[in-house]
Formats: sequence, structure tokens, C-alpha cells
Amino acid sequence: MTKFFAVTLELLEGFGTTCYIFIATLLLALPLGLIIAFGSMSRFKPLRYVVRTVVWIIRGTPLMLQIVVIFYGPGLLFGVSGFDRVPSVIVAFVINYACYFSEIYRGGIENIPRGQYEAGLVLGMTKVQIFFRITLLQVVKRILAPMSNEIITLVKDTSLARVISVIEIIKVAEGFTRQGLIWPLFYTGVFYLLFVGILTLLFRYAEKKTAYLKV
Amino acid sequence: MEYLRVEGFRKKFHQTEVLKGVEFTLQKGEILVIIGASGSGKTTLLRCLNFLETPDEGKVYLGGALFSDAAVRYSDRELRKKRLKFGLVFQNFNLFPNYDAKRNVSLACELLARERARAKKRELLAAEQGARWKARRRIAAEIRAMKKEGTAESRARADALLAQVGLQEKRDSFPYELSGGQQQRVAIARALALDPEVLCFDEPTSALDPELTGEVLKVIRGLKGRTMIVVTHEMAFAREVADRVIFMADGVIEEEGTSEEVFGAPKSEKLKAFLKRTEEHGWI
Ligand SMILES: Nc1ncnc2c1ncn2[C@@H]1O[C@H](COP(=O)(O)OP(=O)(O)OP(=O)(O)O)[C@@H](O)[C@H]1O
Ligand SMILES: [Mg+2]
Repeated sequence: MTKFFAVTLELLEGFGTTCYIFIATLLLALPLGLIIAFGSMSRFKPLRYVVRTVVWIIRGTPLMLQIVVIFYGPGLLFGVSGFDRVPSVIVAFVINYACYFSEIYRGGIENIPRGQYEAGLVLGMTKVQIFFRITLLQVVKRILAPMSNEIITLVKDTSLARVISVIEIIKVAEGFTRQGLIWPLFYTGVFYLLFVGILTLLFRYAEKKTAYLKV
Repeated sequence: MEYLRVEGFRKKFHQTEVLKGVEFTLQKGEILVIIGASGSGKTTLLRCLNFLETPDEGKVYLGGALFSDAAVRYSDRELRKKRLKFGLVFQNFNLFPNYDAKRNVSLACELLARERARAKKRELLAAEQGARWKARRRIAAEIRAMKKEGTAESRARADALLAQVGLQEKRDSFPYELSGGQQQRVAIARALALDPEVLCFDEPTSALDPELTGEVLKVIRGLKGRTMIVVTHEMAFAREVADRVIFMADGVIEEEGTSEEVFGAPKSEKLKAFLKRTEEHGWI
């Protein structure tokens, strides 16, 4: 029993790191994704092509590779010291997820009928007013389902951090296998399930809240 | 007195010329009806007037003064100010689905009132150079009151306009809860909220079931006295309300005159054929 508590405590510590990576990634990637989305829809062609190429590269290569490149890349290529482990992971995750989010945003924004935008213009509204007052909420509603998928994937992707030896929950559990304990590894699943369960409830709540928007 | 003058409007999309030098004038308070076959450039003309498209060439005079010139590139700010002079009611309503009817009508007014309040704030703060906190607090309170008043006025105006289009009891309904005819009436109230100098309608009833067109046409009829440009395929309605009629064909004004002239004694062959076809089908 005491063993169980000790394991739980250690796993919780690893889970703290997991949550930290998750939250930091989300807070930074959500707005960055929007900026990338605007870039990929820009009427200025060079910008649009550059942004779309970057999105293609990021989405087209494994996240694990990106983590490794960002952590070891600066040192190996330029002989400068890069980020620490956790910041490296967060940078890689933010870039990767911002690109995925940007495509979701883009789909959501492009699907809003152009007529609403024009109606706003004719009424003397600015592009910014139209975006925040009219488009945004509808986009939020439309992207809720794909976003919840992506965000739940992020919860589990945080475990990739262990490739550069960040001590997150799976890494901790792995440590126990060396003591001959296998169950902590399964036990980590409970943490993920609870976390994802809470997120699912939150998303369901958001869906209910935006149900009045028949768009 | 000539109130609106459109001069030499030309517009090309890629290689096809959609407007080939359209010009007309309109007196204050008159209703101009534009008719013409599909693809003749009616929508494009209205969109150019409302700055949703930029014509390649052409000028607009309003109230005797040059209002816009295709050769000039206006800043977003100038465009916004100019757009307020014209209103446009769209064929497919284009209401904002995330707001109820009342907010659809009041939103633009509310935003403008807030902007005015912010501008006033800057002005007051600039006047109170190095304002002490007491003065700042007084200004902040004044601006808050101004914003509140602006919002209340906009909402009251929206209520009055919804009553005018016969929808006061629908003010809390969202667009999806309204019939097409009701949606279009909200859209008309919304366009009226900013009291544009010239109100344009682009086939306001052609997306509606036949039994719903009447209520919308009735509302438009009730606006007589406003300067309006109405594109429509409802020939009986056109004939009834128009002070002037323009018949467009292939990007030019083929024939122009009073309602009696155009419908009663058409001169060009194209117009005669067009009117004959509409009579046979009841529509285009
Ligand atoms: N954005 C655009 N890009 C390319 N071509 C366009 C565009 N908008 C309109 N056109 C073309 O311009 C021509 C005139 O279109 P417009 O919509 O002004 O006609 P209309 O008189 O309003 O017709 P309808 O009665 O069908 O509404 C059409 O041939 C159309 O295909
Ligand atoms: Mg049209």
C-alpha cells in the first residue's frame, strides 16, 4: 500500500510535467495557429506560399523528429547551445500544433459564407470588427469537434517528450520497470483517461453553449 | 435637382467586360429600378456603388460633389466612411447568424457609437495635457456614460425599425428561426439603421417563396421618399414603384426612362423581347 502511494506521488510529479507541456503548448499554439492561418490565407502571394510550405513541412514530418532537431540542432549545426529540454519540447510542440490548428482555423474561416463579411463591410464595419464580432464565434463552433480531436491527441503526444529524456509520466513509469514493477506503466493510463475525460466534458459543455448558433 | 450621378462605370473580371460605361443620374427621393437579363451586370453595378468591387473606371457624384473616383485608391478608413453613404440589401439576406434580429439591426450603430466615444476620449485627454487622475476619472466616467447612451440609442432605434418592418415581436429571434421573408425584412431594417443616403436592393425577393415576396415588397413600398436603387425581376412591382427605370443588357444601359416610357412604350428590340419573355414566364 505504501508502495502504491509512493508510485502515485512520483507519477503525479511526472504528470505535472505532462500537464505543463500540454498547457504551455495549448496557450501558445492556439493564437499562433490563428496567425499562421491568416498567413496561409493572405492575399500577398509570397507570404501565402512560404506559410503553406512551412505548414506542409511541419505536418509532413514526424513530431519526434522535430523535437530532436530543435533540441540537438542548434548545438550540432551551429555549435551554439539551444534550449533546455522542456523548453525544446514546448517549442517543437507549439510549432507542430500551431500548424495543425492553423489548418483547422482556415477550414473554419473559409467556410463562413462571404456574404456575412460583405454585409459587415457595407455597414461600415472594419475587417477586425467583422472578424471578432461575427466570424469568430461561428468559427469556434465549427472547429470545436476537430479541435477537440487535436487537443486530445496532444495530451497523449506529450509522452514523446521522453525521446530527449524529459521526465514526464511515462518516463517515470518506465523507471519503475527497472525495479521489476510493470503495473505503474498501466497505471499511467488512468491519468491520461481522467485528463481526457475532463477535456471531453469541457468540450461537450462548449458544444452545448454554442448549440444556439445554427451555422 | 440631380442628387446622384454615376459616370462612366467600367468593370472587367479577368477578360470579360461586365460594365461597359454605365451612367445615370437620380434625383433625391426617387426610386430607380434596374431590370435586365441574368448576367447583364446589375449586381456588379450595385456592388461597385457599395465599394464591394472597385470599378476600373468611373466616378460617382453625390449631392453635387465628387464622391468617389475609380482612379483614386482610398484608404480603408475613407472606404468605410464612404460605404456608410450607401446601403445594400442582399439577395440572400446575409444576416449575422450569431445575433438575434435586434442585434443584427443595432450592431453597426453600436460599434460606431463606441468609436465616437473613443475618439471623444482621445480628444478630451489630449486637451487635458498631463491630466491629473481626477480629471482622468471624470473623463472616463463621461466616456462610459457616452458609450452607454450610444448603445441604448442604437437599440431603441433597432426596436423602432423592427416595428417599421412589422417584426417587433420577432426581435429576440435568431435568423434561423425566421422565414425568408422575415429575414429579408430584418435585413432591410439593418440597412436602414445607418440611414444611408442611397439604399440599394439586389433582387430582394428572388430567394423567397412566392407567397413571401408580398410582405417584403410592401416594406420596400413603405420606404417611398428615400433615394433607392432596386434591382428586381418583379415587373409589376417595378412598374408600380419606379420613378425611373433602367434596362441593362450586356453591361450597358440599353434603355432608360420613366416607368410609363420603359414599360408602356419600349423602344429597343432587346427590351421588347425581354418584356415579352417576362410576361410569358412571369419571371426571368
Ligand atoms: N467576381 C466575379 N468574377 C468573375 N466574373 C464575375 C464576377 N462577378 C460577376 N461576374 C460575371 O459578370 C457578369 C455579370 O454578373 P452580374 O452578377 O452583375 O449579373 P446580374 O445582372 O446581376 O445577373 P443576375 O440577374 O443573374 O443576378 C456575369 O457574366 C458574371 O459571370
Ligand atoms: Mg444579380
